Amino acid sequence: MTQSNGSGSSGARRVVVTGMGAVTPVGNTVDEFWASLKAGRCGVDKIVGFDLEDLYIHIGAEVKGFDPKDRLANIKDRTLPMADRYSQFAGAAALEAMKHSGLPVPVPDPYRTACIIGSGAGGLNTLELAYRDLFIRKKKATNPLTLLRIIGSSASAHVGIEFGVRGPTFGTVSACATASHSIGLTYQFIKSGAVDVGIAGAAEAVMNYGTMKAWQALRVLSAQGCFPFAKKRNGTVLAEGAGILVLEELEHAKARGATIIAELMGFGMSSDAKDMVNPDIEGPKYAMRQALSEAKLAPSDIGYLNAHGTATSINDINETRAIKAVFEGAAKDLAISSTKSMHGHLLGAGGAIEAIASIKAITEGFVPPTIGLDEADPECDLDYVPNVGREKKVTYAMSNSFAFGGLNAVLIFGPPPA
Amino acid sequence: MDDVATKIIEILRKHMKKPDKEITLETKLEDLEIESLDLAMIVFDIEDSFGVEIPYNANEEVDAFKTVGSVVERVRQLVKSKAAA
Repeated sequence: MTQSNGSGSSGARRVVVTGMGAVTPVGNTVDEFWASLKAGRCGVDKIVGFDLEDLYIHIGAEVKGFDPKDRLANIKDRTLPMADRYSQFAGAAALEAMKHSGLPVPVPDPYRTACIIGSGAGGLNTLELAYRDLFIRKKKATNPLTLLRIIGSSASAHVGIEFGVRGPTFGTVSACATASHSIGLTYQFIKSGAVDVGIAGAAEAVMNYGTMKAWQALRVLSAQGCFPFAKKRNGTVLAEGAGILVLEELEHAKARGATIIAELMGFGMSSDAKDMVNPDIEGPKYAMRQALSEAKLAPSDIGYLNAHGTATSINDINETRAIKAVFEGAAKDLAISSTKSMHGHLLGAGGAIEAIASIKAITEGFVPPTIGLDEADPECDLDYVPNVGREKKVTYAMSNSFAFGGLNAVLIFGPPPA
Repeated sequence: MDDVATKIIEILRKHMKKPDKEITLETKLEDLEIESLDLAMIVFDIEDSFGVEIPYNANEEVDAFKTVGSVVERVRQLVKSKAAA
C-alpha cells in the first residue's frame, strides 16, 4: 500500500479516530467506562490489591475484575499474559480499539503504522516485587522476565508484536501528560506523512506499597476522595488503567470503508520551565492556544472541556485561571468537567481515557459531570457540570493534561469530517 | 529553647534559601519563604529525625504548620504519644 495523499481543499492530511479501547477503575471497556461516566459512578474505594501495611492513605481507584486470561485470550504474543499489569492493561485496551477499528491483523501496511504507547512509570509493580525478593527474601536472582516487565516501552513493544506493527514503536514519558503526548505525536506522524495509521495511548499500574509511600511523602494525596474544583478538595487519588486510540489518515480510513468516530483536529504542547510541582498559567495557556490554532477554532467553538482537574489545591485554581485567560468571554458558557472525580488520577494513562470521554461527549451529545462538587472553591467559578451530567450537543471538545514538571499537552477533537 | 526546637530550627535552616534569617518560635513558616516541596522535605526530615509520622497534606492549611512554635509543639506531642505507646 502506498502513502495516501490526504484530503481537503488545502491538501493537508487529516487525522481521524477509528477505534477506542479502555481499561479503567469504572469500567473495563469503553462502553462500561462511558456508562459509568454518564451515571456519575465513582471508582474510588479502599485499596484491596495489596497490603496497605503502615500507609495512612488507604484509598485509590483500582481496576476491578480484570482477568488477563480472559481479556488476553487467543493472542499471538505469548509473553503479553506474563507481562506487567500496565502492559496487560495496554494490551486489553489495544485489542478492543483494534477490533473496534476493523483493521485487519496483522496490520496490512506494517511500516506505515505506528504504535506509540506511553507510561508515566512503567512496570513498578514488577520492580517492587523484585526488590522484595532481593532485599527482604534474600533471593539470589529475580524472575527472568523482570527486566522486560519493568521497561517503560514494553507496552508499546507487546502491542506492536501483537498487531505486526513495524513502523515507529516506542513509549512516551511525561508523567500525567504521557497519553496526550503519545496521541499528539502519533497525530503529527500521520499529518506529516510518516505513517498512515497509529495505535496510540498510555497505560499505568503503579498501585503498590512503595509507589503509594512515595506519593504519600509528596503530601499531595487525599485520604477522603478526589473532589476537583470543590472547596473541600484536599489532594488527588491514584488510579490505574489504560486508554488506546486507533488514529488514521482520513483518506486511508475512507478507502477501507472504516467507521470514522471523530477527528483529531489539534494538538498543543508546552513546558512551564519553572517548577516541578507548582504549575504556571503560561504553559497551559500556550498549549490550549496552540491546539485551537491548529484546529482553526475559536475558543467559543469548544463545547466541552475535559479538565486536567486533579483536585489538588493548586492545579484546579491554576487551570481555572488558564482557561479564563484563553477562553475570555466564552469561559462562562463552557461546560468543563474533571472526570477524575469518578475514575481517579490514572497518571500517565489519564489523558487517553479523558480523550475517550471527550470523544464520547461529541458522539453521544452528553457532557459527563464532576462528581463530589457540593460546594465549589470560590476561586473555581466556572461551569464544572457539578454532580450530574447533562445532554448537550458538543461539536468540538478539548482535553487538557498538565503534568508534574510543568509539562502540558492539549488535544482537540471534532466530528467526523463531512 | 529545648532540644526539639533547636533540632527543628536546624532542619528548617537546611531547607531554606536564605538560611541565615532570624528564626524564633513566633516566626511564621510563610515568612521563611518555604515552598510546598521544601515543606514536604522538612516534614520528611522531622519524621526521620524524631522517628514520628506526621500525616501532613500540602493541600490543607493546618494550624500545626503556621509558625515554628506550632510545628515544635506538634512534634513534641507526637514524640510524647510515641513514648507512651
